[in-house]
Amino acid sequence: MAEAGSRGPTIEASRRSIRWQAALAVPLAVAGFLVVTQARTELLIKRTLRIPSSQLEELAFALREQERHRGALEGQVAVLRSRLADYERAAAEGRTAVARMNREMQDLRALAGLTALEGPGLTVTLNDSTRPPLPGEDPNKTILHYSDIAAVVSELWAAGAEAVTVNGERIVSTTGITCVGTTILCNTKRMAPPYVVAAIGDPAALQDYLRRPGGALDQLASFDFPVRLSVAPRVEIAPYRGTFRFEYAGSGAKE
Amino acid sequence: MWLPAVGLILGVALGFLFSVEIPLGYVKYTAIMILAAIDTILGGLRAQVEHRFDLTIFLSGFVVNAAFAALLAGIGDLLGLDIYLGAVIAFSIRIFDNVGFIRRDVLMRYLKSGR
Repeated sequence: MAEAGSRGPTIEASRRSIRWQAALAVPLAVAGFLVVTQARTELLIKRTLRIPSSQLEELAFALREQERHRGALEGQVAVLRSRLADYERAAAEGRTAVARMNREMQDLRALAGLTALEGPGLTVTLNDSTRPPLPGEDPNKTILHYSDIAAVVSELWAAGAEAVTVNGERIVSTTGITCVGTTILCNTKRMAPPYVVAAIGDPAALQDYLRRPGGALDQLASFDFPVRLSVAPRVEIAPYRGTFRFEYAGSGAKE
Repeated sequence: MWLPAVGLILGVALGFLFSVEIPLGYVKYTAIMILAAIDTILGGLRAQVEHRFDLTIFLSGFVVNAAFAALLAGIGDLLGLDIYLGAVIAFSIRIFDNVGFIRRDVLMRYLKSGR
């Protein structure tokens, strides 16, 4: 481009040319850098997402919207989960409470004598004396009295019996053993000899206690009453058949 | 003509060397910057052809045009309007104008020298 003949303008022209070229290099570098970078970004997007980048902003907006929606739903799930856990805990507490009350009720029913029981124990069979009364002797002395039965029952309790029946009548908290005329009354049921007293408990302990000298059986035997005591590995105890009614009693203030 | 080539190669090499990922939100600015650079290059070419190139005007034009276009795009982002399109169109018109001038000038000179 240096057309001037003189040396000065030539130098000046070449210097201007250099300056021009340098100036042009700067935006070229910028443009080259940006074009390459953008092209690489676009290629990367196309390769990884297979979506033209012009749609990306729209899709990103939709994604953000969905994420917000999802966050709200997750919060809802958390709330519902905690509520479910509360319900489950309450249900479990209710179940355990019911189970505990059921167990307690079974125990109480057994204690009250409302359930049939069986276990090791013994039976005591008592009968009126076979000996004919001596002349002038009170015939009362040859027959069994309610107090004899009551004494045997009391001794069985004292020996650690857990359940007792007399002729199949369960001895419960309201049981009384009395007599009406010549018959013995137990649980309002009239009985006649022989009297079979059955008890569940440690057979050896029960037997030792009943056989002790001076005990009820010892006394009965000394009066020639036939007393038979037999240990059984399995004694069946019938449940109480009567009813419990409290017309006057109410539960006390103190448990 | 080797310095502009060096500049171009340098820019391209830098683009390949550093894997800069332009965030999606700045694609507008990239477009504007590319257009501003092309506009400046063509403006410089035209000025040289017309023998009225001035370094100060050239560089200040590049910087100020790019900055103003970026500002416009920024305002557009702020308002949610595609104001940067205005800059894109202005740059494009100038680019085509300059290309037309350069083409005419070069063609005229070629035809003149040919005769």
